[in-house]
Parts: sequence; structure tokens; C-alpha cells
Amino acid sequence: MPYVGIVYLNNVKSASVMSRVSKKSPSVCTDMPLDNTDICSKLQLLKQILTSCFGPTGRLKQVHNNIGGHVVTTSASSVLLSSVSSSQSFINLIKTSILNHVSRFSDCGLFAAILCLSLIEQIKKSALRESVAIRVNNYLLALCTSYLQREDCGCRVKLDFCSTQNLITLARSVISSKPACVLTEPETLHISKLAVQAFLLTVPCSSPGLLVEMPDGLSEEDNLLNPLSVVLFSASLAGDISELGDGVIEAHSDVDTDSQILGQLLELGRQVINDEVKLFVCQKVIHPVLQQYLRSHGVIVVERLGIALMEPLTQLTGAQPVATLHTTIPPKTYGKVRDLCIKHFGSKTMLHLLPLGESAICTMILCHRNQTMLNELKVVCQTAEHVLRLTLREPFALVGGGCTETHLAAYVRHKSKSEVPETASVLMCSQTEYLLGVELFCCALESAAGALEHDGGSSLIDLTHAHRWMLPADAIKETMEDSLGFCGCGLVQSSPSKKWTYLNTKYSDFCPSPVFRDTRVQPHVLDSFTAKLSALQVAIETANLALDVKYIIQDMN
Amino acid sequence: MPPMGHLHMEHVLQAVSVLEAVILRSFGPEGGQVLFTRDTGQAMLSRSGTRILTALHLEHPLARMVVECVWKHSSSTGDGSKTFILLLASLLRLIHAAASKESNVSHSYNSTKAAEAATARHLADKLLAFGLKELDELIATGVVPYGGCISWEDFTVEGQTPSLTNNLCVQKLLRSFFHTRCGYTHCDFSSHLTCELLSHWKFKNQLPSFSLQLVSDYFPALHTPVSGFPVRSSRLIKGQVIHRDFATPPLKTDDQPVKAVVLTGLLQPTLLNTGDVLELGYGGRMKEERSILLFSSWMESSLQGVIAKLQSLGVCVLLSAVKQSAAVLALATQAEMCLVECVSEDELSLFSQLSGTTPIWDCSMIESEHVATLAFCRPIQLGAHRYVHVAFQDSEERITIKPCSLIICAPGEGQIEQYACALQDAIRMLLRMWEPMHAAATTTSKRTLQSHKSASLHTDNLTEQTTYRSTAIQPIQKCVLKSGCVISAGGLFELLLHHALLQHGHSCSVSPDLNIDASVSQLLANALLSVPQKIYSHSPRHFLESQRRVISFLSKFPNYSHPLTLVYKRESTISPIQAEGPLGDGKLSLHCCREGDKFSKVSELDLGLESVSCKYQLLLAVLQCVASLLKVDTVLPTHTALHTQSRRFARTSWEGTEDEGED
Repeated sequence: MPYVGIVYLNNVKSASVMSRVSKKSPSVCTDMPLDNTDICSKLQLLKQILTSCFGPTGRLKQVHNNIGGHVVTTSASSVLLSSVSSSQSFINLIKTSILNHVSRFSDCGLFAAILCLSLIEQIKKSALRESVAIRVNNYLLALCTSYLQREDCGCRVKLDFCSTQNLITLARSVISSKPACVLTEPETLHISKLAVQAFLLTVPCSSPGLLVEMPDGLSEEDNLLNPLSVVLFSASLAGDISELGDGVIEAHSDVDTDSQILGQLLELGRQVINDEVKLFVCQKVIHPVLQQYLRSHGVIVVERLGIALMEPLTQLTGAQPVATLHTTIPPKTYGKVRDLCIKHFGSKTMLHLLPLGESAICTMILCHRNQTMLNELKVVCQTAEHVLRLTLREPFALVGGGCTETHLAAYVRHKSKSEVPETASVLMCSQTEYLLGVELFCCALESAAGALEHDGGSSLIDLTHAHRWMLPADAIKETMEDSLGFCGCGLVQSSPSKKWTYLNTKYSDFCPSPVFRDTRVQPHVLDSFTAKLSALQVAIETANLALDVKYIIQDMN
Repeated sequence: MPPMGHLHMEHVLQAVSVLEAVILRSFGPEGGQVLFTRDTGQAMLSRSGTRILTALHLEHPLARMVVECVWKHSSSTGDGSKTFILLLASLLRLIHAAASKESNVSHSYNSTKAAEAATARHLADKLLAFGLKELDELIATGVVPYGGCISWEDFTVEGQTPSLTNNLCVQKLLRSFFHTRCGYTHCDFSSHLTCELLSHWKFKNQLPSFSLQLVSDYFPALHTPVSGFPVRSSRLIKGQVIHRDFATPPLKTDDQPVKAVVLTGLLQPTLLNTGDVLELGYGGRMKEERSILLFSSWMESSLQGVIAKLQSLGVCVLLSAVKQSAAVLALATQAEMCLVECVSEDELSLFSQLSGTTPIWDCSMIESEHVATLAFCRPIQLGAHRYVHVAFQDSEERITIKPCSLIICAPGEGQIEQYACALQDAIRMLLRMWEPMHAAATTTSKRTLQSHKSASLHTDNLTEQTTYRSTAIQPIQKCVLKSGCVISAGGLFELLLHHALLQHGHSCSVSPDLNIDASVSQLLANALLSVPQKIYSHSPRHFLESQRRVISFLSKFPNYSHPLTLVYKRESTISPIQAEGPLGDGKLSLHCCREGDKFSKVSELDLGLESVSCKYQLLLAVLQCVASLLKVDTVLPTHTALHTQSRRFARTSWEGTEDEGED
């Protein structure tokens, strides 16, 4: 069982109240937020919480509020950050930036947050002026993004859709990074394979289907002729009066409007039965008498489908929704399903609809031992699905396990050493300031890589490819090469000719060489290219923004 | 401050100084963002002076008056709200010092204060009179020759390579604008994007104000905020984005062209209007015809008739301002039409303008002039939302623009809003810059004092033609400044005008027949210096150095008219600002317009450009604000219960404020 840390989240009253002009309902002002001790300590706490969650060996967090609500065990940034609320709008600024990234890309939220917070911390600790730091960061970010987009980028892997191996690795890296799912190694692989399978099925292919809630009163023995004709109603069939306008309707006591409408509904039912419809679906409520009538004629009735399933169902069956009650239903609005069957999943019984032809709809069934783990698994599978989908846009992945970060840091160090005077003058700062800015940026990248380690081991970097290596805490110095084995992503194997240095120690800069790709050696850990690239940009942009904030005005009304 | 009391200079100064302290945090190259949370908990970011000031929720009547003045000024020019406060504070300080020096001779405390207030008021009025009378001429002779001129013609659609360098000038102007409004990080990117947007919206044979006003008016409909992406993902897309999703399945085919109709009313005929009464079954003589079913079936069949009519016209896209009924959705789907509901009025009006059609209320009256022809209409996924993306068919006779929309991306909503506001203000600033500063009535009195020597730069003749939109706050009687004048940013305007004012004061004291007090121009000159002082606040040496350079340049070449730039150079050690003037050989290095290669190299270093006319209007607005601030002598706090009685008194003492309100 992974170690579980408990974090209590409460709001601490803020802040220094500066001069104000008005007497009533003043805004609370904070001057120079990064010099404010309360804000700094909160930033540090946030960084600590997020860093300890990072990666497959990350520690879990239990989030519970002070009024005894539901307890969540997680290490996912989306869950963690959305449950953290701070009275400090400065913290919230960073939080929402990261959350917005996560809502678009699902992955790399923790990486973005850790990188952003370490960069702010590094710059705050140094004497570098904020405005200079912003310019340098901006310049280095452009350097990184253009390198990552390059053909010869040393930490990028091209994805091959002919083989599922890399896709499974990509999915597994996502799934294994969240220990709150409590999965064994084979279980992780199984889920990863399922995720890839589901992904491949939705890139149009055959044999998918859609599950809807099981209607009452349907026995499993019913024999149905295939394929089945389907009608889909989007208007209510409960017998309510249709919209005639804003005026008033006055009905005399002897007029039974309800039965008139019901009569019309039954007329509709008669037509449907004549047209040999076997599945009658309505988005809203169906009048019980109509339901009974249809069932007695062997029609399967599904009501209250809800708006969410309407579109997948129209896609799957080819039916067009009907909302008119008085005209005969046009034949072209009927859809078809190949078959339907009843499926049992634990305590749930579902109706499984199978499409007639090809359709890009399928359902993934997730099972787990308890609700908490299942919730985390759901989040993780959605992330995996999203990450896989992103590969359709950009068929690349970045080497994982912290290797991309160390590689980038080494590249930036090396690259920025050339043309120092020119760059410094473009950035309107002195050369010393520029070099300090570069160092801080690289340190922040490396500390994001180092954040993957939680068991007291040390992180190393090799001086050829600049990948990240883990040295367990109990390793003996003499047998270092043996205990290193493979680098973080699994592309490079340790050999006597290699040289290492501890991360965050000074090393003379070198140009990190790309790994010569032996096709037999496949990376063990891969990160989403699209998500990570955006996370990098969001992290630096958010850090720049935070450094640029000089004053906070909080409306207290 | 006492609850009811006389206002003294100190109080005014105190209130303005507090505002100045807040504003300084986001002023100049070392300034940063101000983060503020609304009462709703929503976070906002800003470097805009107006937004910061309004966010403070001030109650002090004087401070509120100042904020009001700033707001009015910036809503007209879109720029200069921070400089406004700095200049105001500096002017008030100098007036206070001058007034207290003069009124020292009085005896009792009260009379000293009264004398001081009177002197201050008098000074402020003289300043305003001076500003209205002399300032434009002084700027035209003392500042404009050292700047450049940008014309709307420089601004061309991409692809025409020779014009690229001309575009750079506008870009420089916008760059420094975005720098002051959003920070350094993306100022290049934003200015490029804005230029691109405007060049796509450039109407041929139309005045600049037309295009700019159109983009400005329809800005909410023209941009789409998308959070969670890096700022650099912001881009332009062809056509228009309608910020709603399809209510029916989108078109399956990508056949061109697509015919669309804008609806403002309900498609389903309304049987009963408000107030109508439908009686069912009258007095037991109920017949089949009086049943409710009769009405609902009539409604359905007439709806089918309308859909059939639309189909016969080939319409397959319906843009509706209102929500339609389920029956409409179902019938439209069956007819393979796609429907977009609840489209905002703004977007529909833009759509109508771009497609050249008119919206229709009752679809049974549809004619071919209601039918728009589109190049495509398809769903577009932007962030979490799916919207409708339409593009218009090029039609030469109608419009000669390439309509496009802007997608603004940023990690957080606060930033997006900041960029959107800055963009809107940038357009307003350009609009102001290219607009002649007063109504066409007095064209005859226009004296083109601007030096003919700068004719090598762009001249433009738009002034006479441009129609004036009356939003200006200054009652300007005449104006000699041409539109489109720009000057290098970084305090050069203030330094040059300072110099010009001093010389003017000197010439006044020599020839006493001119009825202007030399001390007035002296005072204004000194107040102006506070702006460059604050710009270089992190290094006072830079300020002195740049001031010295400007003065030496002007004294060496008093009648030389050429663009002057303060170049910010920092080699390995701290070195001063250099005015790139005639160093040694008396030859200027020109950094404005048309200097392709050299320009692009230098542009990284210098501080950008500012609009001269915006600066001029700013000065006038500040002078007016000072005058009206000093007219107030008492604050009368009133209570709601006593409201009716106290209003009579309030009117007399708040005269100054009411004047301001009418401007």
C-alpha cells in the first residue's frame, strides 16, 4: 500500500491591509505579493503538496472538509487543485491556470504546477529583478518549444500507429502515475490495453455498441427479428398540452382534453406498430397507457433517455428525432439496430444496442474494488483516452521518467552559452543577469525531474544524453553502475563508459546527444507530447504572470 | 478628514497621492500587473490605470471625481490613464508649492488657507486657458518635428512585401501600447496579431475610422476567449464564429455554397398571444372541431409549410435569435437543415452586415434578399465549447475585406479578459490617432504648422475627409496637429515639451505684450518632467542622462527636424540611455518607417512609439481635471433621510463636479 499523507485544507485569514482612501467596504490591498510572507509560505505549502504527489511513487492525499463531507483519496492534480481553495487570489491565479490546462489536455497538470512554482521560488530566492527574469524566461521558453518541435529533437519519439506498443506505453505511463488506483503491474497493463483498444475502436472501426439503462418489464427470453426498427422521440409523450403561445386556455368541465390527447398518442402508437417498429425510445416521459399499449404489442419501450444520449443514439441507429404528434411519422426518420441484448455488470443490468453498420461508438466498463479507487481509475482512464486522442493531432511522444526535463535543461544550458552579449542586449539586461536567469530556469526544470523521487534516493544525470537516472538510497557507491540499470525512460542502459553527476550540481555544459535508436530497445515511459508542450508553456507563462503581479486588490463586498 | 469641512489643497493632494502610489506599481518598464478579485470572487488582471482605479471602490468624493475624469479620458482615447494620475499629482504638488509661497504673507491660519486656495484656483484656471490656447502650437513646433507620421495607407494586407516595413511602424506603436497594458511577455505577439486583424478588416476606399470603428463596435462578436491554452495559441480565423452550438446535427455535406437565413422570431406560429383566451368546448355543445387537437395539428401543419418554403429556397442553415420549439428542431432535422438557437443580437447584426442580408421576423414572408450565401458553415471546437463557424463568400461589389475573427487564448480567464480589453483600447487609440481632432467646421483656420521638413515621412490627407464621431471630451476650438503623428516612447514627448515650454516662457518674459504668465508654462514644464522621472525610477541616472542628451541635441540643432529616439542600450555594465542624435558628424540615425533592414535590427532595443494626439488630449484632460478639482471647496455629507433638504446646499458646492459631468 502506498503511504498516505493527510492534508487539511483550511483558509487562513489574510493579508496586510494597505492604505486606502474610502471608509466603507474598502478593498483589501496587498503590495508586492511576492514579498508577503503569508503568500510565500502558502506557495511553498502548495508546492510541497503537489511535489509529494508526483509520479508513480508519489504520496496520496486525502482531502476532507471541516464539515465531515466525503473523503477523497487522490494524487491527481485535477482533483487536488479543484478541492484546494485559498483566500489568497494570488494562489488562485496559479491554481486556475493549471486547472484550465488540465481541463484542455487532461495530463501533465502536476508537472506544470511544480515547474511553475519552483521557477517562482528560484527567482524569488535569487536577486534577479522580476522584469529581467520574465524576459529571460520568455526567451528560454521559445528556445525550448522550438527545440521540441524540431525533427532532430533528442527527447521526442515518433509514434507508429502500426504497432500498439508505444501507444500502450503511453497509456500505461498515465495510468501507473496515479497510485491511488491501487493496481498491480498486470492490472495496469490490462487497463492500458483496454484504453488503447477503446481508443482504436473509436477511430472508426467495427463492433462497438451503446449501453442504455434497462427498461422495466423486459424479459430476456424475448425473441426478436433482426435488424430492429427504431423510433426516437425528442418531444414529451406524457400527454401534456403542446405550446400554443402565451395566452390562456379555458376548458369547460365537460371537455376531457386529457383523453383527447391520449387518444392522439395512441393513434401514434398504432402507426408505429403498423410500421413494425420494435424499439421505441423517448428523450422525455412517455404516458403509461401508451407504454402499456406498445409493450402489449411486443415493442421495447425506453423513456427518459436524457439529452446526453440522444446524439450518440442518432449516430448509432441513424434515426432522426421526431417531435410531431399529428402527422404520420415519415419513414426516413426510423433507424435500425442490428441487435440488442441484455448485459449484467455486477448489480447493474443494461440494454446493449449494437449498430447495424460501422459506428464509432463504444462503451468502456471499469470495475474496481471500491468507489474511491474506481473514481481515481475513472479520472485516469479519461486522461489516458484523451492523451491517446491527442496523438492523432501530433503523432509524437516525449520520453518520460524525468528524462525530457533533464535533457531540455542540458540543451538550454548549452545553447544559451553561445552569443551571450547579443542575447543579453536584446533582453535589455546585463550578461550576468542573463546567465543567472538561465541557471534558474534550468534548475527549475531539473527540480521538476527530481520531484519524481520520493524514497530518499538521488537523481543523477548522465553527461552524454542528459537523461535522468535514479540511485536508490541504499545503493553502494562502488556498484553504482549496476544499481542504475536503465535511465528514467528506459532508453539508455548504464555502461562503464558513461559519466554521471548529481542533479542540481554544477556541470560543465555539453550538447546532449540524441539516443541512437535501436529498434529493440523501446522506451518504458512515454509522456504526451501535446500535453507536455502546452504544460511547459502554461507553467512558464503562469510563472511570468505571477512574477509580474505587483499589487493585489481584493474586493471584500 | 472632518465629516463636513472645507477642502484644502492638502486634502486634494493627499487623495491624489494615494492613487499615485497604487498606479506607480504598474507604471513604466519595471511596473507589473495588478491582480484584483471582484466581489463575485472572479480574479482579474490589469495594468490599465482605469481598471485599477475603479477596482479600488473609492468613497472619497475627490478621489471618485478623479477616477471619473480618468475614466472619461481613457474611454475616449483608450490610453494614458496611468500618466494622467502621475501628471495630476505632479501638477497639484507644484501648484500647492507655488500657492503656499505666494500666500505666506497673510496673518491668521484661516485666511492663509483661503488665500492659498484662491491662488491655486487662479493658477489652475490660467493653466487650463494656456493649455487650450497655446499647447497645440507648442507641440506642433516643439515635439512633432522630432517624431514621425503613420498613415492608414501604410497598413496593408499581408502578402504585399514592400509594405511590410511600413507596417512595422504601426506594430511598434502597438507594441509599446501592449507593453504598458499587458506586460512585456507577449507585446510583440499581440501587436502582430492586432496588425493582422486590422489589415484584414481594411476596407478599400473607406476612411480608417470606418474600419476601426466597425472592429471596435463588433469586438465582442469578433473574438472568442479560450482558456487553458498558452497565449501564443491565439490566432485569427477566417469568417465569423457564432458563439452557440448547433441545436440540430450539423450539415453533413461540405457542399458549397451554403444558404442561410437569420431569424428573429419563432418559426412555429403562435396561436395565442398574451391576453388571448382560447375556450374549449362551449356550453356542452362540444364538437370535434373545438378540440385542442385541432389547434395543435393546425400549428404543426403550418410549421411544415414554413419549413417547406425554406427548403424550396435552398436554405439549409437557420440562425435564430430565440429558442425554437422541439417540433421545429425535429422538422428541421428531418429536412436536413441545421439550426442555431439563441444567437446574440450583436452576432446576428454582424452576420447580416457581412452577408449583406436582412434578418426576418416571420418566415412565411421570406424573400430571396433574406437568404445569405456562405462559403461554409461547420462546427468548430474551441476549448470546452463547440461553436458554429461560418465564412462568407467573397463578393467584389459588396465588400473588399476578408472578414476574420480573433481567438484569444491564455491559461486563465483573467488574462484573456485583460488581452481583450487591451486590444479594444488599442483600436480606440488608433482610432483617436487617425481622427482629426476637431469637427470639420474650422478647416479654414487650420494652419499646417507641422514642419515641411518631415515630408520625407508619410503625409496623409485624410484629415479633411474623415467624419468626426463626437466622443471627445475636450472642447477644442481649433487644432493644428495633424492626425497620425507619433513620437518615440519612453518620455521623449515630455522631455521635448518641457524644453519647448521653457523656451516659450522665456520668450514671454522678453515680450510682455503677450498676456500669458511665464510662470504658468514654467510650472507645466516642471510637472511634465515627473513622467520620465517615474519611467526611469529604477535608475535615476538614466533619467538625467536622457534629459541631458535631449537638451544637447536641441541646443546643437535648434531648427533641425528629424525623428529622435531614446535608445535603451545596456551593454555589459549599466550604461545610460542614449539619444540617438547627431553624434559627432551631425547625422541622425533614423529609426522610423521605411528603414527596412536597419530598423528591424534596432527595433528590439528601442522603446517603441506613442501617439502625439493622445498625449495632447491627455494633457488637456489633466489640466481640466486640476481646474475642476480645485474649484471644490466643501464636501457636504448628506444622509438619505435628509436627502431632499440637503440637495439645495449640495448644488452650490458641487458646481465643479457638475461642470465636469457635462464635458
